[in-house]
Amino acid sequence: MITILEQLAEGQRELSGALVAAALTPVDTPTDPNRLRSFYNFSNAAQISTSIRNYLNQACGRVKIPKQELNAWIDLFSAYWKVIGELLKFEESPTRASWVQVFDNWRDLANLLIRGYSNFGFENWTISCLYVVGKYLRIFASKADAEASAQISVAFYQEDAGTDFGKSAKTEEAARVLNRMFTLCLNDRAPLEASRKWGVYYMTNLLFKTYFKINAVGLSKNLLRALSAQAKELPDLEDFPKSHIVAFKYFVGVIYFLDENYGEAEEHLAYAWQLCHRDATKNRELILTYLVPCHLVNTHTLPNKRLLSQSPRLEALFRSLCDCIRKGDLHGFDTAMTASEEEFVRRRIYLPLERGRDIALRNLFRKVFIAGGFEETKDGQTPIRRTRIPVAEFAAALRIGTHADSRTRIDIDEVECLLSNLIYKGLMKGYIARERGMIVLSKGGTAFPGTGV
Amino acid sequence: MSSGLPPWRASASATTTASVYPTHATPAYIPVQARRSLTTPVSRPTTTVPSQPAAAPADEDSSARKRVEFPPAVRLYVQRCFEPEHQIPGVTRQEMETKLKSVITEAAQSDSLHKIDWANLPLPQVMVQNDKTRILANPEASTWGSPYTPSAAQTYKHNAVSTDEVSKKRKSAEYQTESSNGYPPWRQTNKQNNFEDRITYSPTDKRQRIDFKNSSSKSKANLEMRKKRFEDPRGGYGSSPSSRGASPTPTPTGPVVGRCQELEKNYFRLTSAPNPDTVRPLPVLMKTLDLLKKKWKKDNNYTYICDQFKSLRQDLTVQHIRNEFTVSVYEIHARIALEKGDLGEYNQCQTQLRALYAQHLGGHPTEFKAYRILYFIHTRNWTAMNDALADLTPADKRNHAVKHALDVRSALALGNYHRFFQLYLDTPNMGAYLMDMFVDRERLSALAAICKAYKPDVNIRFITEELGFESDEQSARFILDHSAEEMLQEKAGVVKLLTGGKAAQLFELSKTEAHRVVDIKGQI
Repeated sequence: MITILEQLAEGQRELSGALVAAALTPVDTPTDPNRLRSFYNFSNAAQISTSIRNYLNQACGRVKIPKQELNAWIDLFSAYWKVIGELLKFEESPTRASWVQVFDNWRDLANLLIRGYSNFGFENWTISCLYVVGKYLRIFASKADAEASAQISVAFYQEDAGTDFGKSAKTEEAARVLNRMFTLCLNDRAPLEASRKWGVYYMTNLLFKTYFKINAVGLSKNLLRALSAQAKELPDLEDFPKSHIVAFKYFVGVIYFLDENYGEAEEHLAYAWQLCHRDATKNRELILTYLVPCHLVNTHTLPNKRLLSQSPRLEALFRSLCDCIRKGDLHGFDTAMTASEEEFVRRRIYLPLERGRDIALRNLFRKVFIAGGFEETKDGQTPIRRTRIPVAEFAAALRIGTHADSRTRIDIDEVECLLSNLIYKGLMKGYIARERGMIVLSKGGTAFPGTGV
Repeated sequence: MSSGLPPWRASASATTTASVYPTHATPAYIPVQARRSLTTPVSRPTTTVPSQPAAAPADEDSSARKRVEFPPAVRLYVQRCFEPEHQIPGVTRQEMETKLKSVITEAAQSDSLHKIDWANLPLPQVMVQNDKTRILANPEASTWGSPYTPSAAQTYKHNAVSTDEVSKKRKSAEYQTESSNGYPPWRQTNKQNNFEDRITYSPTDKRQRIDFKNSSSKSKANLEMRKKRFEDPRGGYGSSPSSRGASPTPTPTGPVVGRCQELEKNYFRLTSAPNPDTVRPLPVLMKTLDLLKKKWKKDNNYTYICDQFKSLRQDLTVQHIRNEFTVSVYEIHARIALEKGDLGEYNQCQTQLRALYAQHLGGHPTEFKAYRILYFIHTRNWTAMNDALADLTPADKRNHAVKHALDVRSALALGNYHRFFQLYLDTPNMGAYLMDMFVDRERLSALAAICKAYKPDVNIRFITEELGFESDEQSARFILDHSAEEMLQEKAGVVKLLTGGKAAQLFELSKTEAHRVVDIKGQI
């Protein structure tokens, strides 16, 4: 019993892309631990095509596949057979096994598949095959690069300074093949119901992943341009599989995020967040990693406890920082930033999070305002808060907030500077009367907009 | 080649009549043929007969045997000539074949086939290359003495030791170029000039066209241009050999060993393989650096110094010298460029330095890491800033200069102009030159904030102190330059800046203007 061939034959009989794609998935499954081996033992290098042909003729004799297309499928699965041979070497004789070999063979297979679509009339119900082949192309490429760089670091003296040359050669190669798959999907002119355009976002996502990996985020923008140029021809976003769209929106969001365009970024990330499956914990975490800083910058609001408590990782990433911002604890904020700096920088969220300090500062100064109490009022009138506050009081708050000891000098000019910034950014309303050393805040519950006082 | 090639031509007409390579007889020759013509899939208009790469050696061998009985040593010699690892970039196969023919013909004619020490005779490509270099240089200064003309070949049997040395030397160079063979020819042109790699220009750049004009006919040049257009737009991709199955790490052209003893040299952007006679070896370069340092102190002539440093860097690059001295050259040039505000040149040095520091060659990495951060603040390249931050080690962060740069960045990110200008007045090393580049921009931001937050006015003195101006006059001038006259008023003997809506608006405008994307020559 050879699962791979059965899946292929049945897929062709039933016109089920999922089954054919399953056949092309190069892994053993728990239910079938000998899946690859049994296919490999099915024939030998010289006869594999003939064997597959005979098998298919027998298994789906009644279903008529056009001759050319049939040949293309047979070639494809012969190439697949070769890859599996390379993969099995990892079990048999690990010293001879090589991910570079696996990758090269898989790349050939990918090219055969592309040709199958462009020249031999593979139909759009088989589009899942593109997904599977693209997905493993990327996986094998990174394994091949990891293997190559492990070998190179031993024997290779970096000759030309300044180039990360060859470090990701296979991944770059994979990117090129994936790009061909992308165009294959994007430029299909068949009517929508039979079009490969349905695969376009999946391929885009694979390319995004690849570009992020080789640190060429800039190239992602070419894809976005190509997509928007074709926007009219593409089906509505809502009609695509949700999984494709969630990932796509996430990547687009992150691309804007890296450009410090937090407004656009939040829009896309929020879209992804809304659509994301509730059990996709890892994806939800990833989206939030960027959505939370975006939201902080855009709306000055913090995630609530329930949101963070869903994931220990996010809890660790944001919890203490958020608590410090909420309490206006500047010292705690600085400590938390320093403590997780490496992690933040690595995830590229340091810069937006740093802006949270403004919010922490606002909250601290808001306490000063509230502690100032109310003006004396005549009977019967609603009490008004004291809106004329000496700068010295803010300076005192700052001393407490930053844990300044008796020797640290808090510069009144610096306090004024911080105040003027908050006013400039619209976090406080009022003005500084420098000569009198006073802050005059606006009356009527708008001194700290959006915070109720 | 004075004797012509009658016997050869008669027998192997298929491979002869290649364009005649000018030897030392035409001293005006400048070798610019950087490409191996045979790998080009088009027939070249200059060639009358296309030569056959693989069949050629066997062909010549057998056809030669018809007339003269060639000793095995000769055949081995011919074989060696065509082995890929013996190819020298800059010497085309055609030139090599012509030379080979003339050597063998000459030997056959003078009946010295059995007398010459074929095993130690330099390969024809080596002869061609030496000819070229000798022609370019002063013939008397050449260390090789008499040229490798066919008639001189006989002398090698007496002279075996020294020639052996020669060929061995060459081989080490050849070895390094070997793997570039898998490249299509239009790639090779660029690979050859690997010292240009740092310079980025568009494929349609005029400067590149010059190369093509020199190397071959116009139609071919057009073809090359066309091919270039179809290349992947991304530079990084160009470096990986795609499906050609060649080795993934093409090493650049072998290093040159310079022989020039002059201390000074004008910078000239090379368009062909470097000539050892115009390249200065390391000891000379060290003296050059000392001289340049003295001259810089004395004359302070930036145009001259920059030019000299560029040629100094070029000599280092073509000789693959990468050590502490290289680091100090780049560091000094970077500092001088900074001082003169030449950010394009500075950025080139900075990029190289980053790579050099990665190899732990000494120098002052933290000083330049700090500059790098300041530089990215100036160019507001946040993606690069993220990378620069990720590059820092905990030890780096404790360094005074790096800490200063990080503080500057954080002060700006939070709009804390008070802190920013304190840091500005206390900048370590030469960071102040970089900060000067963006300090006005930040002054405008600060003024926009001040005008919005203070009422009704502030003393000019306050502005001067807060924004790091040197005098009240200077700050007044700055304010007037970027807003309107009526914003400054004298009250009770003190000049005041009228803050509030109008002033805030004006400064907001100037600020936006100043924050437009910074465009710098030479920036990546």
